[in-house]
Amino acid sequence: MRAVSESKPIIQVHNLVKHFPVRLGAFGEKAAVVHAVDDISFDVYPGETVGLVGESGCGKSTTGFTLMQLNRATSGEVIFNGKDLTKLKEKELRKYRKELQIVFQDPYSTLNPRMTIGEALAEPIRMHKIVPQNEVAAKTAQLIEDVGLSPNVANRYPHEFSGGQRQRICIARALASDPKFIVCDEPISALDVSIQAQVINLLMDIQEKYNLTYLFIAHDLAVVRHISDRVIVMYLGKIMEIADKDELFNNPVHPYTTALLSAVPEADPDIEKERRRIILKGDVSNAIDPPSGCRFHPRCRFAVHTCSLEEPPQRDLGDGHLVACHRIDEIRKGTIRETEDH
Amino acid sequence: MIKKQKHSNSSQDEQQYNLYKDAYTRLVANKLAVVGMIVLFLVFFVAIFGPYITPYDFLDQDLMARNQPPSMKHWFGTDDLGRDILSRVIYGARTAFIVAVSVTFLSLMIGIVLGSLGAYIGGKVDTFVVWLIDVFMSIPSLLLVIVINVSLKPRLVNWMDMQFLATQNEFYRNTILADFVLVFGSLALIKWPKAARIIRGQILSVKKKNYVLAAKALGVPSSRIVKKYVIPNSIGPIIVYISASLGEAMVFESAFSFLGVGVRPPIPSWGNMISDGLRVWQLYPHILAAPALVLAIVTIAYSFLGDGLNDALNPRQWK
Amino acid sequence: MMPSTQDNGNSRYEAKGNNVSKLLEVKNLETRFKARNGYVYAVNGVSFSLEKGEMLGVVGESGCGKSVTMMSLIKLLPPSAEITSGEVFLDGEDISHASAKKMNYIRGVKVGMIFQDPMTSLNPFVKIGLQLAEGIMYHKKLSKEEAYRQAGIYLDLVGISNSTERLNEFPHQLSGGMRQRVMIAMALLSEPSLVIADEPTTALDVTIQAQIVELIKEIRERLNTSIIWITHDLSLLAGMVDRIVVMYSGMIVEEATLEEIYKNPQHPYTIGLLQSIPKVDASHGKRLPSIGGAPPNLFIKPTSCPFAPRCAYKIDRCEQENPQIREVRTLHEKNHHRVACWVDVEKRS
Repeated sequence: MRAVSESKPIIQVHNLVKHFPVRLGAFGEKAAVVHAVDDISFDVYPGETVGLVGESGCGKSTTGFTLMQLNRATSGEVIFNGKDLTKLKEKELRKYRKELQIVFQDPYSTLNPRMTIGEALAEPIRMHKIVPQNEVAAKTAQLIEDVGLSPNVANRYPHEFSGGQRQRICIARALASDPKFIVCDEPISALDVSIQAQVINLLMDIQEKYNLTYLFIAHDLAVVRHISDRVIVMYLGKIMEIADKDELFNNPVHPYTTALLSAVPEADPDIEKERRRIILKGDVSNAIDPPSGCRFHPRCRFAVHTCSLEEPPQRDLGDGHLVACHRIDEIRKGTIRETEDH
Repeated sequence: MIKKQKHSNSSQDEQQYNLYKDAYTRLVANKLAVVGMIVLFLVFFVAIFGPYITPYDFLDQDLMARNQPPSMKHWFGTDDLGRDILSRVIYGARTAFIVAVSVTFLSLMIGIVLGSLGAYIGGKVDTFVVWLIDVFMSIPSLLLVIVINVSLKPRLVNWMDMQFLATQNEFYRNTILADFVLVFGSLALIKWPKAARIIRGQILSVKKKNYVLAAKALGVPSSRIVKKYVIPNSIGPIIVYISASLGEAMVFESAFSFLGVGVRPPIPSWGNMISDGLRVWQLYPHILAAPALVLAIVTIAYSFLGDGLNDALNPRQWK
Repeated sequence: MMPSTQDNGNSRYEAKGNNVSKLLEVKNLETRFKARNGYVYAVNGVSFSLEKGEMLGVVGESGCGKSVTMMSLIKLLPPSAEITSGEVFLDGEDISHASAKKMNYIRGVKVGMIFQDPMTSLNPFVKIGLQLAEGIMYHKKLSKEEAYRQAGIYLDLVGISNSTERLNEFPHQLSGGMRQRVMIAMALLSEPSLVIADEPTTALDVTIQAQIVELIKEIRERLNTSIIWITHDLSLLAGMVDRIVVMYSGMIVEEATLEEIYKNPQHPYTIGLLQSIPKVDASHGKRLPSIGGAPPNLFIKPTSCPFAPRCAYKIDRCEQENPQIREVRTLHEKNHHRVACWVDVEKRS
């Protein structure tokens, strides 16, 4: 949301890989591997909001969790403030948990039902010694006000609040440790439509107020378009395209991005009437046995033989616009045609 | 993938919290269950205070007044040693109570230790715990109790005698204690698997909860997670277990005493009183009637409570 | 079905002409649920109608009563539900007090249902073929071979390749999008006059959703089925339906043709919903106008406007009386537009 200066990135992700074993059998032998995130790299700069989008199985949530070290990476690096978090033990990580926070998707299950919200907010404050003991209550009250609730609700339990209010409390909790970077993992998906806008506004307000950097993971492209500065598009564990928000939404180049954008409905009948939808064939493939070469090739209307053999390298189109596609030159020139069996 | 979940406006946890709250409400609305609870409370009350108000000491023998039917002097009559049956029945409540509480406590301790170890450590330890639970659950309870009693009792008594000879400490003369220890021990061995299973299951499920993950993300250390996040949310089933177990233990104790492998005379237990009474019931029915009636009431009460708990926790659809 | 870039054919409504008869008429429907301490008033006086071949969108948030209303039409409600008043006419026939047997027939033959979650709407233990065929075998007295053949035809229709093999598969062997297609086939199999789709794409990825939407539109063209599409996503309906009904707290607050709802919304709730959707040309970074407050309490039957506590346009009357439905001036003559509101929002803003 802010002019991103040419500063150093606050977080650098290098070749991150996260595989989950699938265990079967009486003794839990490893039967297969889910390639949730397969070698992705990106940077996040201070003060910006990076939107991370994709459909089910693309690995966006796993990316968020692995970045936060809630899942330990299979390989790769996550560098924050010069330190590679993946190499740290849990004890050493603890002090970084002050700086990196996360807001989860489901506000109903992420609050301990047996703790009042005052206690829940005090946890991180005490843990990281943000303020001296006698100021904890005041800080808690201030946090509650920051997220738009009345401070005298601190003694209530989570079940006394609605979904939207609970998500506000979760946001307050993420703020409590005075973090620099917050991963928002689908923070509004579980909320009613009329509440979603409230929470989006809140997130944007506190970003402004506290100078935060966000990784905003979502599947709702309209919201991502509203809140992000840059956008990363993932598919089956790989990054397809990265670009500044306007560039991505106005000039998408990757075939998946264009199909994805064309599939998003707009609340405007005239636009819808004129819309020419790109309908993708088939369903999202399996992350256990991903397609060879370019992971998108089975559904891609421009796929040729090379696409099934080699993974496309990431190309830099300038201005931070990165794409991974074999046929990118033809697409940009406009000379590309759909392949026969589509 | 969850785009928008069309679930009711409360999560599973909240529904569980409400479940216990509603369950309690339903339970107290269930008249039979309430009757059951009252009866059991009465038993506890009598167990604690009864022996102080018994007209006679339960060991007092009045050989001149043997096998007397109920009268003003002896409300329940006397047995074949002239002992006041009412007093013995009251003391029997104490026996039942002591056994019930000790066994519940003991089985809970074993269950908590093993269940949490398995749930927390996971892996091979957990596999072992589960196996252990299965093994114990597959042993017929009666057989286990009999075997323990028959094999261990003489050795225990022997050991105690040796200790007495060695230390001259009166404590070791107390064979009654030996009885009780064996009863507690064997009953606890029967009941701990159930407790362990419940606790293990609960901890496993809480461990996976999102609020535990969220706490971890905040940097909360494991010890505090256990203390403030896991334990408080695992208590519900433990309370249920305790309620069910108390009644069950009483009934078990009576059954085993009746068979002679539990508490032995002269310590009164409803079970052994019934056993004694059976021998002469045609001649002196009151000797059998009193403890049998009391035991029957307690058993029915426990059954009501159990049913009530079950209904409260598994509500049927309205209408 | 060939995936391709497609035009959005949205001219259904205009093409029909004047000689339409109402397929469905609902008058004053009220449904409530018995709860532990009172009633949940889910539907509070809903009236609407549907023409043959028309597609109606029903939009509202969770708890507004949109699903319950439609389920009440075919009496597919849990035991704690009570339909306390209302009349339902299907094809001119009063089915409000139909017997269980008749309702069964209606559900089996005249009305098709597509539910939200394809994962749980199919029986995991029964093969697809049988699940598809058993309905028509029973209601239309078809033989097993005929029913299976019909099922195969409809699987082709919904774009499932290798339909004959699919008939022998179990639900878990299919992906989410394919399962939803199977659900659609199931709904269409008996050739119903009305299809009720209850949030059919809510649980699906957006590219799969696009596939399903195109499919439904195609099917509507070919079979001329009337469709009621329930959703919370206003954007979704903009490319699909003829008319939209907006619900709040168990009541219809606005009803209009497609163009009217998006270009000329009259009810403050509709306006609020539309404003809170981030749009393509919205200035980036601005705050999204949002609807303040929280959803209504359904334990009380509304005697005044249920939206009043959250309404920016409210006047005193709103808190005293429940608004009556009135006609509103429309952008074009062929549109129609009704709203339940005391306030003329144009005059206010």
